[in-house]
Amino acid sequence: MSKEEKRVGVFICHCGKNIAGGVDINALLEYARQLKGVVVAEDNRFSCSEEGQSSIQEAVKQHNLNRLVVTACDPALHLATFQRCGEQVGVNPAFTELIDVRKWTMHGSPQKVDPAQALENSKRLMAQTVKRIRLKRVIPKVEVKVEPSVLVIGGGIAGVEASLDLVDKGYKAYLVERLPTIGGKMALLYKVFPTNDCAPCILAPKTAYANMHTNITLLTNSEVTSVKGYVGNFKVNVLKRPRFVDEKKCTGCAICVEKCPAKALDNEFLAGTGQHKAVYIPFPQAIPRKAIIDKEACLYFQKGVCKVCEKFCPADAIDFEQKPENIELRVGAVIVATGFKEYDPSAKKEYGYGQYSNVVTQLQLARILDIDGPTKGKLLRPSDGKEPKTVLMIQCVGSREEKGNTYCSAVCCMYALKHAQIIKEMVLPDAEISIAYTDMRTPGKGFEEYYRQTRDLGVTFLRGKPSQIIEDPETKNLLVRVEDTFIGQPVTVDADLVVLSCAMEPSQGTKQLAELLRIEIDKDGWFKEIHPKLKPVETNIRGIYICGCAQGPKDIPDAIVQAKAAASCADSELRKGKIMLPEFMVKAANAS
Amino acid sequence: MGEVYIEMLTSPGCANCPAVKKLLKELTAELKDDITVEEVDITVEPTRAAQYGVMSVPAVAINGILKFVGVPKREELKKAIMDELEA
Repeated sequence: MSKEEKRVGVFICHCGKNIAGGVDINALLEYARQLKGVVVAEDNRFSCSEEGQSSIQEAVKQHNLNRLVVTACDPALHLATFQRCGEQVGVNPAFTELIDVRKWTMHGSPQKVDPAQALENSKRLMAQTVKRIRLKRVIPKVEVKVEPSVLVIGGGIAGVEASLDLVDKGYKAYLVERLPTIGGKMALLYKVFPTNDCAPCILAPKTAYANMHTNITLLTNSEVTSVKGYVGNFKVNVLKRPRFVDEKKCTGCAICVEKCPAKALDNEFLAGTGQHKAVYIPFPQAIPRKAIIDKEACLYFQKGVCKVCEKFCPADAIDFEQKPENIELRVGAVIVATGFKEYDPSAKKEYGYGQYSNVVTQLQLARILDIDGPTKGKLLRPSDGKEPKTVLMIQCVGSREEKGNTYCSAVCCMYALKHAQIIKEMVLPDAEISIAYTDMRTPGKGFEEYYRQTRDLGVTFLRGKPSQIIEDPETKNLLVRVEDTFIGQPVTVDADLVVLSCAMEPSQGTKQLAELLRIEIDKDGWFKEIHPKLKPVETNIRGIYICGCAQGPKDIPDAIVQAKAAASCADSELRKGKIMLPEFMVKAANAS
Repeated sequence: MGEVYIEMLTSPGCANCPAVKKLLKELTAELKDDITVEEVDITVEPTRAAQYGVMSVPAVAINGILKFVGVPKREELKKAIMDELEA
């Protein structure tokens, strides 16, 4: 241990009245002065201000300090400020500590306590920190080289955008997608608000570019099975499941799809509204455009007969013997963009989803309205294939509930408006559309205007959350009971088709992936950012970033902003080609 | 009398942390020196864990140097504390 004398300075910030208003500063100063090793204790109205920092620097020079304890706010906010402040006058950043007492003193803080208790808590924390910093030695660090490549988990719009940004910055990107095609949920949306652009049309240039870029390796139908190591040097294992079609040989001609005799219900791409063949290409703009065999539906795998696809494939690409493949990667950073899944409303018995055929979800409606969907863009209700005359949409299904998901899913109001506009303007102008809502929330750019446009189209808005849906067993029409909260009266609405605006939920496997990556998830199951305002894409593990709906419900522009932010964070960490890390971290990872 | 500051990194639901806590409690009682043990919940203070490069708990740092990850043997832990006390 270094025998240099430990000279500690304690600096107490008033933070205006935020701290000074909730604790006796003078008592705290007096207490600090009698702690072992403390040479000087001072207070300041705002320690983080220029004046506050220079008074700390003055004290360092005057009293020859080599340890600083700043008593103020959350280290996540200002530790770096005071470390830099100290470093300028020769204090090793490792020997500057910031302790948060403001959480006990500030009005509105959830942890606020009375002044006597705040003084008690602050004294205890201060004594502890002064002792810790007095005895603390510098954590040994080593310099390591970093891999100029990034693993992106999830091939939706966020993952694709992050990958494209990374290759633009000069890195190599490995884009791992669980499904056989990239594009994610956006590929299923038909149109996007508030411009009503065709979703696949604006997505395809990005996915196609990702597919052809030499520095992006697409690993579809694949899952990450292990991630070890540390920032700059992660060792990753990816399991590539067999497609039973040789990706290199398949030309995407779809002759196999045409000839295949077996069918299966499609839950991924037609959202349960249609079927695909046992060998299929998920949708026309699928990337990569390669066929895949659904083992559960394939007659050869299930009954040992058929092999029609193999017979007709002109490229000789069918390979029934294909085995799962383990791929090892080394990457410098990881970006998690695993997106969301639609809430399963069958738990809500009162709405009869799964029981009444004319109750569908908004994602299913998007597939039905899509000109490439199962009805080729015609709005036909599932029970009898007839055009509905009345459509009722129910908002906040699985969102904003006391039990269940308490959060707002952020996009349901807008996609309900979008579908109402599409039906009114392009599909069935005479259909009567009502939206039963809790609150209409349209805070984005151009969104309020979009809401107004929808009202101008004659869509009816009914404030209230339906309590029950009853199906007429003969006509399959639906009766919806709802209290109109504006008039305080229960009303009954007839609907030929009911559409549930379901919540966004963390996608399947989020929890397992969090365990694999050792990153945290929040109380609702989304990946957790390290600071909700100031570090929205960083996680508790350095070098692992989150973006898009993996972090929480959001719309496409927000997902893209986050993807770009995550790519930028990865770049900041890797761009020097080397990095200083705690010795322990490197040793432990090399030993394992 | 020597002085030691021990940071015990822990998290809610950590299966092996109670064993380490117990060991530390016993050793502080046994060694009679000026030993402070601070439990650091890494879910509340992730930067504290990050500065050591720790990715799993329990972990024990003594006077700012990370000494153990996982549950240390009683004798090893005692020796590490004694070394610091005499340093």
